[in-house]
Amino acid sequence: MSDQTPKEIGSVSFGLMDPETYREISATKIITADTYDDDGYPIDMGLMDPRLGVIDPGLECRTCGKHSGSCNGHFGHIELAAPVIHVGFAKLMRRLLRGTCRECSRLLLTEEGMDELRSRLVRTQQLGEDPQDVLKAAIRQARKTDRCPYCASEQYEVKHEKPTTYYEVQDVLVGDYPEKMAAAMQPGGSGDEESGDTGATSPQELAEETGIDLSRINEILSGEFRPRPEDRQSIEEALDVDLTEEDMNKLMPSDIRDWFEDVPNEDLEVLGIDAESSRPEWMVLTVLPVPPVTARPSITLDNGQRSEDDLTHKLVDIIRINQRFMENREAGAPQLIIEDLWELLQYHVTTFMDNEISGTPPARHRSGRPLKTLSQRLKGKEGRFRGSLSGKRVNFSARTVISPDPTLSLNEVGVPERVASEMTQTMNVNLQNLEDARRYVSNGPVGHPGANYVQRPDGRRLKVTEKNCEELAEKVQAGWEVNRHLVDGDIVIFNRQPSLHRMSIMAHEVVVMPYHTFRLNTTVCPPYNADFDGDEMNMHALQNEEARAEARVLMRVQEQILSPRFGENIIGAIQDHISGTYLLTHRNPQFNKTQALDLLRATQVDELPAADGENDTGEAYWSGRTLFSELLPEDLDLEFTSSAGDEVIIEDGQLIEGTIDEDAVGAFGGEVVDRVIKTDGSTRARVLINEVAALAMRAIMHFGFSLGIDDESIPGAAEEQIDEAIDNAYDRVEELITTYEADELESLPGRTVDETLEMKIMQTLGKARDSAGDIAEDHFADDNPAVIMAESGARGSLLNLTQMAACVGQQAVRGERINRGYEDRTLSHYEPNDLSAEAHGFVEHSYRGGLDPQEFFFHAMGGREGLVDTAVRTSKSGYLQRRLINALSELETQYDGTVRDTRDTVVQFEFGEDGTSPVQVSSGEENAIDVDAIADRVVEAEFDAEGSEAVAAAARPTNLSERADDRSAGLDLPPAAEAATGGVNDDD
Amino acid sequence: MVDVSQHNLVPEHSVLDNGGVEAVLEDYGVDRTDLPKITRRDPALPDEAEVGDVIEIRRDSRTADNALVYRLVVDS
Repeated sequence: MSDQTPKEIGSVSFGLMDPETYREISATKIITADTYDDDGYPIDMGLMDPRLGVIDPGLECRTCGKHSGSCNGHFGHIELAAPVIHVGFAKLMRRLLRGTCRECSRLLLTEEGMDELRSRLVRTQQLGEDPQDVLKAAIRQARKTDRCPYCASEQYEVKHEKPTTYYEVQDVLVGDYPEKMAAAMQPGGSGDEESGDTGATSPQELAEETGIDLSRINEILSGEFRPRPEDRQSIEEALDVDLTEEDMNKLMPSDIRDWFEDVPNEDLEVLGIDAESSRPEWMVLTVLPVPPVTARPSITLDNGQRSEDDLTHKLVDIIRINQRFMENREAGAPQLIIEDLWELLQYHVTTFMDNEISGTPPARHRSGRPLKTLSQRLKGKEGRFRGSLSGKRVNFSARTVISPDPTLSLNEVGVPERVASEMTQTMNVNLQNLEDARRYVSNGPVGHPGANYVQRPDGRRLKVTEKNCEELAEKVQAGWEVNRHLVDGDIVIFNRQPSLHRMSIMAHEVVVMPYHTFRLNTTVCPPYNADFDGDEMNMHALQNEEARAEARVLMRVQEQILSPRFGENIIGAIQDHISGTYLLTHRNPQFNKTQALDLLRATQVDELPAADGENDTGEAYWSGRTLFSELLPEDLDLEFTSSAGDEVIIEDGQLIEGTIDEDAVGAFGGEVVDRVIKTDGSTRARVLINEVAALAMRAIMHFGFSLGIDDESIPGAAEEQIDEAIDNAYDRVEELITTYEADELESLPGRTVDETLEMKIMQTLGKARDSAGDIAEDHFADDNPAVIMAESGARGSLLNLTQMAACVGQQAVRGERINRGYEDRTLSHYEPNDLSAEAHGFVEHSYRGGLDPQEFFFHAMGGREGLVDTAVRTSKSGYLQRRLINALSELETQYDGTVRDTRDTVVQFEFGEDGTSPVQVSSGEENAIDVDAIADRVVEAEFDAEGSEAVAAAARPTNLSERADDRSAGLDLPPAAEAATGGVNDDD
Repeated sequence: MVDVSQHNLVPEHSVLDNGGVEAVLEDYGVDRTDLPKITRRDPALPDEAEVGDVIEIRRDSRTADNALVYRLVVDS
């Protein structure tokens, strides 16, 4: 296998197979339904014939001489006693039967009609539409034809009884035609009443009217002679009776085969069928291919019994019936029995192909389980295509629980030692890394940076064991391959399902750690949508240099900070980080030297800036904003409004004023992070996010941050105020209800009075909750932790705070007040038709105060809706996602900028109609692209580079490995290295 | 009846003359049938458009000023 050269597939052609070809490729004819004899050997010309391939190791294939594993198996065949229809083509056969002449088998279209179809077929092909539509249209047209345009024979309707029975519907003379005619000829007989003619019809009159001989009429009336179809029609007209009935004439598969054999190739071409590769009569099977044993291996159970594959079981059934059929026919059995057996054979062949046909009971295993036949092997999620070809299980992957580690960089992942020593990277040993390779091998498979396998240049693989590792290490030479354990700095791919966007799969650098979980920096939680309540993630070790390089350059976390969804950063500070920076910068607190150094100790800043001043005791102090500014690039100038509401001003990398919170450094569009990554590059942004997170954690630990039940309590006076506000609202609701009951409520435009009342009540109660919230809010200090979190955007909102402290508010199901439960009331605690607030789910208490039982119940109702919604949404959106991916997966942007599909049809003339990447361009509805600023920056950088080219080139980070970056950055850190990091704009 | 083609959200559709079509096809190196399609009955089409014509659609774009798209008029 390995010395075969790769081949390119030139073309693939699909079509039907000629029965003769079946027989030619067949390794043997199968005639017995038995598999093995008493000694356990396969029976010749049985279903397990050794010529069909080998599955038992050690045996030789009787057809190709290869052993199991290298022999792919060979088809055999069963000669069917009678032709049988292939279910997969039942629909096409129906169409052809309806569209072709029953006598001469020509397509029931005139030459002009065919010409038109031919040109339509060409056009369809050019436009890339479905040729099936042309076939459908052609059949629709042909079906309308009553008489064949070529042989003039009359055509009958073809009825298809699913799955595989076809009938011809013909009008034939009823058996009791003389009686019917006599009845019609009696006075007052049928028909005459309507026409007003009361008289009877005599045979003479009938003969005159129809132009048939009187003697013949008499013969017909006596039942001695059956009228010819033309005569029948004129008699029917004259007497106004129906002498026909529909007769279903079953088309046997052999009839259909004969019919199709005569369809000319030219007529098939018009329908878009290539007669060369698919003659329609081949849809009727006369010979059944028997899949090789490798496709239906039998397994030996523990007790030594053989258990056969479902397909083999099915084939046994087919052969049994086939034999019975032949025996019966030879014995001259009655037609009825033959037909029954034929139908049975059809059933078995049908279920052999597809066992999930509607209207047919599925073939079952002895245990009652439906058999898994050919179609079931291919179809669906676990089928061959979706289960085995598009989605496979892979080697070199690991999965375990994740947990947070704020000391890691966002580019890194903590890998447990057990995982690291199970998954390997291939080392090509050369003179440079020989020492390293030997050290890995000598550590053995158990010691951590060890090796599991070595491969000699002759291709022989040796397992490294604790016993042979020392010995093997000596032998390792240049040219060998060593499968060494993962070590710090290796690149791996990390993934959390569901993989809904590209940031769900990112490349991380390995940090080998103790214990059993994958560790990740908390700032990468948003792109993975991960938390640590038991989430598991997958890791894949990359196995070749191209993959590793690609992962490093394209997939590393820092390259994914910007989301293509909204063009801003998806990675940034979250939760406590934001509370931390808020505490550090909002009131701009002062820190003494020890405190300042402690805050910055987890960052690369190792020298404090000049002190901001001295406090009363003469001690130097540094402000929070000064310390935060140490993390910013030297040349950052930025102004924006923070989510806390104040103006943030950053000049020359110094935070002059304002609060750093979610809008500055948060995930999902933090201004500072966004600006830094777009001007200074992803490496600088990664450093910034890491350090902001580290500083924020230090800051929040310095101040201490906790939330307890007392933090939501408000003074008694305020509670009274809230009660009063809610009581007022109740009164207003009561007023509304009285007006409504007095029929005086005026309806709003486009609404009924009932709807108006509901709306107004909802409005009133909504306002009541808001005012309760406002009252509560007034009594919370600015340093209240819940307020800090809400204001900084770290977590929660003022609404949550209102619900905790003041009033939970109206509960809703489907956007309305709660209206369900008993007849005319929600709970038996209320009067029927009570419209009041409390009877329909208004919760006037707060979470802290506690809900009363009815309120609790209503709250649970509202909460349940949310749970159901998310459950429904995930399954719906999952399927939507699958369809969208399948529709778009093969679109590709070409080098000329156009987006095309695999047929080279243009989908977009310019990617996104503007040819820009949402990740590279920063513009929003309100801020257009600042072309001047970009031009200035580029020009400036160009001029600067001229003067200090050598310096800039030397200090530029490799951008390849975090560890390499740190090493080079460690040599000379800010300001020189930091400014050069961006490369584009150093204006100092 | 509202004339949809006059609505301000409907971009300008115009029939491309033969020379224009040739230029476009040359430009992108495609056959006429590889262009995106527009049905003959599309209400945004100008009245004179016929099956086989190529329509130029000029859209306003915030990022690209004008976005040009060409579509082949097809039956059905």
